[in-house]
Amino acid sequence: MTETNQSTVGEQGEYLSRQVVVANEHGLHARPAGKLAQRAQGFAAQIRIVLDEQEVDAKSILDVLTLAAGPGDVLEIRATGADAAQAVEALETLFHKRFND
Amino acid sequence: MADKILSGIPVSTGIAIGKAFFVNRNHKAHLPRHTVSAAMMDAEVARLHDAFAAVEAELTAIREQVPADLRDYGLLIDTHVLMLKDPKLSGVAEEYIRTLGLNCAWALEKAVADQEAAFGAVHDPYIRERMQDVRVVADKVQAKLIGRETDLTAIPGRVIIMAHDLTPADTVEIQVSRIMGFATVRGGKTSHTGIMARSMGIPALVGVDMLEDVVHDGDLVVIDGLTGKIVVNPTEAELEDYNERAAHFEDYTLKIKRGCQLPAETYDGSRVQVLANIELVEEIPAALDNGAEGVGLYRTEYAYLNRTDLPGEDELAEKYIDLAAILSPRKVVFRTLDLGADKFISAFGELNETNPAMGLRAIRFCLRNPELFKSQLRAILRASAYGNVSLMFPMISGVKEVRQAKAWLAQAKAELRREGVDFNPEMPVGIMIELPSAVMIADFLAREVDFFSIGTNDLIQYSIGVDRTNHHVSYLYQPLHPATLRTIKLVVDAAHQAGIEVSLCGEVASDPFCVPILLGMGIDSLSLTPQAIPGIKRIIRQTNMHDCRKLLRKVLECRTVSRINGLVMDNIFKSFPDEVTFFSSLLENDESPS
Repeated sequence: MTETNQSTVGEQGEYLSRQVVVANEHGLHARPAGKLAQRAQGFAAQIRIVLDEQEVDAKSILDVLTLAAGPGDVLEIRATGADAAQAVEALETLFHKRFND
Repeated sequence: MADKILSGIPVSTGIAIGKAFFVNRNHKAHLPRHTVSAAMMDAEVARLHDAFAAVEAELTAIREQVPADLRDYGLLIDTHVLMLKDPKLSGVAEEYIRTLGLNCAWALEKAVADQEAAFGAVHDPYIRERMQDVRVVADKVQAKLIGRETDLTAIPGRVIIMAHDLTPADTVEIQVSRIMGFATVRGGKTSHTGIMARSMGIPALVGVDMLEDVVHDGDLVVIDGLTGKIVVNPTEAELEDYNERAAHFEDYTLKIKRGCQLPAETYDGSRVQVLANIELVEEIPAALDNGAEGVGLYRTEYAYLNRTDLPGEDELAEKYIDLAAILSPRKVVFRTLDLGADKFISAFGELNETNPAMGLRAIRFCLRNPELFKSQLRAILRASAYGNVSLMFPMISGVKEVRQAKAWLAQAKAELRREGVDFNPEMPVGIMIELPSAVMIADFLAREVDFFSIGTNDLIQYSIGVDRTNHHVSYLYQPLHPATLRTIKLVVDAAHQAGIEVSLCGEVASDPFCVPILLGMGIDSLSLTPQAIPGIKRIIRQTNMHDCRKLLRKVLECRTVSRINGLVMDNIFKSFPDEVTFFSSLLENDESPS
């Protein structure tokens, strides 16, 4: 799977987006979801995670959990704001490293 | 007529009459719900955020105390802190205050309900279960908001405690002198509320449905721990009747107490040691008053509960030395840390296990945390220089585990020797037989240790596959199930063939209906709740071994629990009518599911 980094204009204005794959054996369970939310909270940018029809706030562990993303699922990270590029980069790295799980 | 009569499972005998006092209410059902004016909204929002911040500060402080080797637990607290910071809880609750004018407790409950709906829609059962963490976190905040944090140390006057549930940690914190009785919504026949109530000598009922709906703070209630009834606001006549019955029961207990210092010896001269199960040094006087010949089970875990850090070796040693010295020359058997399952939850938060009863608990937990284990072993060894001390390891499943535990003990001994610290190098070491696997290899295990102690509570639970605190299935918890009897006999025979002693320290040892059968098997000692010792000693002194063996032979031929219970009941009815009047027996579990 190749990730694409692109600037898109959607309903919420222009955002950066990148696709990532959930590589963790158990999917986005409590620990990776926590790490994702914690990392996202470090950025000023608004960050959303999209799976199929669902779109949630990456800064909310509860939102990320209820996404119930399983292993192999393809997610899209969408970010808007001053540090959107860094945020997307940082979160993508987490997925690549399988959240050090 | 009284306002209402409720039924529960009696777990500690006696009758108490007094005022009801609620702790640990189920917040969800009793939240204050009102609206706030626009002028008050900012203050209400501030109150909400203050409560979140206070809980976060508490959790963060606890997090800092978690030792590095309890990594999973630390991560769980991290998750809870993240949930506290989550805009989906505090943020959404704030929105409900501002847009709908709800008070903060109600607004938070509505935010939690949204999450319940979101989690409920998830197919993955693991994720769905995480809702429990949301609930735990929200309950902590709710307790702060409505000022209902359980302060068990500040109970007014003498009261009857009512609760949704009481954890072992709660029951330890309670000021014994102020409590006349307990009633809880949750819990089964052998839950810790019962064990604690019995050791405190006060009546208790668990599994009381509707308790929170019917009883209010300050209501006059009768807790009848003999029949399992709670009478709410009784009439004069009812009150008189209960006073009379309470007095009658008191007479009976006085009568049996008079003979309790005599040895536990049958008519035909067989001696059985009768020891006490205790968790606090403070219980020793009551245990000795009731005729205990020593302590057969000292539950060490209570020193670890109710605190956010771990006790150090010196602190433990001081406590253990006190215990050994006070009891000397009588024996005291220390059971090493039996944390995990329900007992870990109350002290440190929830261990994230799907099946904690079968998870990282007791000896498994200790072997995984050797530093914590060794500090306890060193403390017990140090106490062995001051009295008649033995130690036993709980929940042993195989030979390798015993050897691993003994290896840590050997290392602790070597260290103390190098440091020039006194201890008894011959301190007896035993294991608890609580798992079917240990029963099946009891002959092998007997060669590894100095004694066995059969923990029937867990053994029956694991043998029959029944959660003893689950009131839907607790009727299946049958001490005289043919399989239970064969299991206990197998262990006793294996121990005796290897020339080691075998004790029994579960609830069964306190049950007058079961004791004659245990005597027939040749059990060497019984260790039980101090309150029950006088009654059990009386049974032993009024029976003879010949009859016990005959009864045992008969029951071993029975194929069903009801047949066995029938035989045992007949035996008790004939010989011990008072016990039939006043004691509730574990045998009463022999009911069909309702």
